[in-house]
Amino acid sequence: MTATRKPPEEHQTSVVRPPDFDEFWGAIMAEVNEIPLDPAMEHVPMRSTDEVDVYEIHYNSLDNVRIAGWYCRPKESYIKPPYPALLLVPGYVSEPTLPKSWAKMGYAAVGVAPRGKLRSNGQFNPGYPNLLTHNMIDRNTYSYRGFYVDAARAVDFALSRPEVDPARVGVHGSSQGGALTITTAALRNEVITVGAAGAPYLCGFMDAASLTHSYPYEEINDYLRVHPDHEQQVRETLNYFDGINFAPQIKCPMLVYVGLEDDVCPPETGYDLVKAMECPTELIATPRCAHDAGRKWVMPKVEEFLNGHLKPAAAELHAEPTVG
Amino acid sequence: MTNHTDRPADFESYWDAVDQQLAAIPAAPELDLLPIRSNEHCDVYSVRLTSVGPYRIFGYFSVPGKGSGPFPGMLLTPGYGSVKAVPDYNDRMRYVTLQVIHRGQRLADKPYAAAYPGLMTEGIDDPENYIFRDIVADCLRGAEFLLSRPEVDTNNVAVMGNDLALITAARRPQFSIVQAADLMFHRLMEARMRTEAYPLEEINEYLRTHPEREEAVARSVAYLDPVHHVGNITATTSLSIGDQGSTAGADWLERVSKNFGGPVENYQLTHEGGTDHDTVDAWMAEKLGSQPMSRFMTTV
Repeated sequence: MTATRKPPEEHQTSVVRPPDFDEFWGAIMAEVNEIPLDPAMEHVPMRSTDEVDVYEIHYNSLDNVRIAGWYCRPKESYIKPPYPALLLVPGYVSEPTLPKSWAKMGYAAVGVAPRGKLRSNGQFNPGYPNLLTHNMIDRNTYSYRGFYVDAARAVDFALSRPEVDPARVGVHGSSQGGALTITTAALRNEVITVGAAGAPYLCGFMDAASLTHSYPYEEINDYLRVHPDHEQQVRETLNYFDGINFAPQIKCPMLVYVGLEDDVCPPETGYDLVKAMECPTELIATPRCAHDAGRKWVMPKVEEFLNGHLKPAAAELHAEPTVG
Repeated sequence: MTNHTDRPADFESYWDAVDQQLAAIPAAPELDLLPIRSNEHCDVYSVRLTSVGPYRIFGYFSVPGKGSGPFPGMLLTPGYGSVKAVPDYNDRMRYVTLQVIHRGQRLADKPYAAAYPGLMTEGIDDPENYIFRDIVADCLRGAEFLLSRPEVDTNNVAVMGNDLALITAARRPQFSIVQAADLMFHRLMEARMRTEAYPLEEINEYLRTHPEREEAVARSVAYLDPVHHVGNITATTSLSIGDQGSTAGADWLERVSKNFGGPVENYQLTHEGGTDHDTVDAWMAEKLGSQPMSRFMTTV
């Protein structure tokens, strides 16, 4: 039976917070905290500019997986430290770009490549499609268990840098980057001072899959067509990884923006996320926009929001638009 | 010094050589049903094809499950990036689709895995070795496969994508419909100086390191400039246009728009993703004799 879709603010989430959610993630973070970060940086002259130095970075994460990323920082001849740190977290299918434009604004910017992304896929590589459903019936081996930690661990990398001001650390991304913004702000809530999440993915997984046939959520529908008997196990696992269940742990100011015709990350799940947040949160919902989440109009507001909290030295400049 | 927008003197022979290379190598298609990606509306297959090199490329091939066909066809040429998704659910329902995954992209990344950033400048100082020469060949190989399929109404086949879609349509005139957006190679040597955004920033980085190679780079990318290809397109084309003054704007793309061999309609993007998708989808559906479908579900 079909029904007319209701306005997203009227949606009621089916996500349930497992009673041992905090214990589950507490144990994972305790485990990773025992693993030496062992950060490494290699200067990349070819991709550096007169204003920005680019480094390829690596660090250790959960299960001793070596994670890659890009680190872009202003040259001291251009802007003197200390710098606010900004983590740029990637979308599902996109590779992390080099956040040079953010560094030019005065940020020490980290472009994170969680496990499975190129350059971080030597030890873990479920592929695309598959990342979303890899071990989706087992919370202890589900793909996003390590993936979330890899993004949170980038905070530790940023804090290992002497030129970073530890009182000014932000996180930003769209789509899966929006999800990682939520989880990182929650898992490192003692450090993150501001976050901006566009079209947040990995929130209300099962609701989203019922509201769309677009990938990546369609991976869940594909999986359940073949394994209908796994639905309850899937639902139980995903509750441990749902951004909606991370949301109450966030302490810093947050900006969330959604497109009201987003077929990839249904706007209902963005509203459900915001309802679950207890921190100061601003929601921007743009009509007729899809997974772009109104990027053309919202990006200036995202920059203004992040800059207002993080105070980069060249806030008059602009970053390249964030895509998921 | 070459004018960066000039058509290379050996343009035809350069691309004819690609066609000859393809003709000399059997595609050896290998189709495998993917039950997990198939549904009540379509069957989805992985397909492997041999392109120039020889190199084995990948694709997602789908056939509508209802009706006896033949069905309208849709070739999806790959954009810039390592991952290409299974074709959209609505498209799989209406059309025989083939998403080409070129060499270096995931699922076609053995033995060669493309780097991001890095792909844009791979072999760029020699037109014969520039990676996009082979990537075009991969798209042409995909086109030949789709057009050979008995499930396809070969009088009713579209190609969608960026520059690669235009080049494919120019070199395989069996396509009757083209939809193109996000062109990368038109006036690339000028466009790169107006941006720090990737992937064009890859060219800037390369030329900062190798300034003496600018002429060679300009020569390589000139073969890809759609302005030199679209005169051979007889299909009906929709060209998505960005903001005035940008490198996607009508003024920047004017020479491309005016050079088409067949009818062309410029679609001015609104940047409202829902609006833009639904407009382009409706245009395509009308041309292919199908029904428009929004990806955003209004009933659940």
